[in-house]
Amino acid sequence: MTQNNGISWSVKKRIQITGLNLFYICICFLGLVPILYVLLLSVSGGGGALMTGLSIFPEKFTLDNYRRIIVEEPFLRWLANSIVLSVGTMIIAMGTSVLSSYAFSRFRFTGKTAFMQILLLLNAFPQILSMFAIFRLFRLMNLLDSHGGLIFVYAGSMCIFSIWNMKGYFDSIPIEIEEAARIDGAGNVQLIAKIVLPLARPAIIVTAVMVLIFVWNEYLFATTFMLKEESYTLAGGLYQLQANDYSRSWPLFSAAAILVSVPILVIFFCFQKYMVSGLTAGGVKG
Amino acid sequence: MKNPRKKFTPWLYNLPAFLLIGVVVLFPILYTGYISFTNMNLYHWQDYTFIGADNYVRALGKMNSDFFAAFWTTVGWTIANMTLDVGIAYILAAGLNAEGLRARRIYKTLIIFPWAMPAYVSILAWRVGMYNTEFGLLNKILVAAGFEKMNFLSKNGPAFLSCMVLNLWMSLPYMIVMFDGALQSIDRSMYESAVLDGAGTWQKNLYITLPSLRKVMAPVVIMTTFTTFKQFDIVYLLTMQKGSVSGSTMQTIITYAHQNAFVSNNYGLSSAVSIVIFVIIIVFSAWTNRAAKET
Repeated sequence: MTQNNGISWSVKKRIQITGLNLFYICICFLGLVPILYVLLLSVSGGGGALMTGLSIFPEKFTLDNYRRIIVEEPFLRWLANSIVLSVGTMIIAMGTSVLSSYAFSRFRFTGKTAFMQILLLLNAFPQILSMFAIFRLFRLMNLLDSHGGLIFVYAGSMCIFSIWNMKGYFDSIPIEIEEAARIDGAGNVQLIAKIVLPLARPAIIVTAVMVLIFVWNEYLFATTFMLKEESYTLAGGLYQLQANDYSRSWPLFSAAAILVSVPILVIFFCFQKYMVSGLTAGGVKG
Repeated sequence: MKNPRKKFTPWLYNLPAFLLIGVVVLFPILYTGYISFTNMNLYHWQDYTFIGADNYVRALGKMNSDFFAAFWTTVGWTIANMTLDVGIAYILAAGLNAEGLRARRIYKTLIIFPWAMPAYVSILAWRVGMYNTEFGLLNKILVAAGFEKMNFLSKNGPAFLSCMVLNLWMSLPYMIVMFDGALQSIDRSMYESAVLDGAGTWQKNLYITLPSLRKVMAPVVIMTTFTTFKQFDIVYLLTMQKGSVSGSTMQTIITYAHQNAFVSNNYGLSSAVSIVIFVIIIVFSAWTNRAAKET
């Protein structure tokens, strides 16, 4: 009798799991459809056949769109700009915010809570609203069209996010480890370089990746503050492409979109395993 | 505090960050406040004068219809998105953690994709690939199923829903991953002892899962609420981008301020609108703060 019960239970369980699997396959498919569609568009010949017809699949497969983007547009130039801007921003934002978030986590000082609240408030302020003020200031200081100026704007706003994100993680590292190192004679610099940074690695990596992704994807400041086409980033360039020339040639735009997304996808999935533990302020150990 | 140097160490560590934030974030906000008291515009670029609170009178005077419409749209947008975001993400994450689901790693990797895509690429891909009347997949499906073509972005109601679907598509992966991590961080032994004490599924959810989730999820949810509240790209790129205005007049307060600043070229007035919005955000964040503490 127990045997019989066991079997029917396991059958019921198996049906449940199959249902769940089907459900998640549908969810994944729905989630991927827009991306797959762009991918399909990007390898279809520029013609209108695909566009107007009911068929979803391209009639012929071609990589011509990719070739045209790389050869006919200043794509490599934009790629170089994107790399300069995102790496530059990352260095400045991380350099300042690691120290600051460590101080917020480990020291007691006057106005600490108030400062954290002010930072949160500044983060809530949409930078678009002060864009005009920044634009005017940059114009007065001749910083328009310079990568340095834009790096500082990006770094400033990402610095706040980074401080908040890493402070929580530092909080979750037991202070005893540092005390032990101090007793063994480690100085401030040694302590941070040898003990704190390695321990906080997941949070630091994820925060750095987030800064990188933010800069890679930013188009509004990148197109407003960069006046010449050759100083655009990939995001800015792609944004201009779709706004001007290619508003009718979607296969070409799709190819550019895929090219811009691939580096980010690669970086993202390389660090995927750190994502949860690095973003939940150490509340979760992934 | 034996060492007097120790008192300055935290400030030394904070100095670079505070300098940076002070110069590029705080100062422009203060400068926006300064501009809001002048008559700066395209014709008074250098020789602007102070006109006191005139811009605020005008800004608040303008607020009777357009601004309030934008304001309530933003509130509705935030509430609707956050409710669905949190609800759907919780259900999907809980399902992923069901016992015996072997392929969960594959599902997780696939689900994450929209999060990893650059936001503006996703938005433009949706505008053309999904919503467009000629090429959009949704309209192809509608036509194939024998329905009329539909312009998803030309009227306010459908545009709001279209923006919301896209926003959920973009924000759900992050929320699911966070919920998934939070669920896995719960100590299994708590459930075992609860079962021994005779707790059912509901009780386990109510007394173990929810309280454990709250600690990890509260900061995530608060941060996402702010991002949703100040969402600009989706509404702007889908419905009001130069050259492809879709016809819907839906505005959030951020797009409203942006339009005022860069379309009207009246910088004094638009700065006043920005400052008013900042005050609203301060009130809003004070309110979320209190709500977060109470939970």
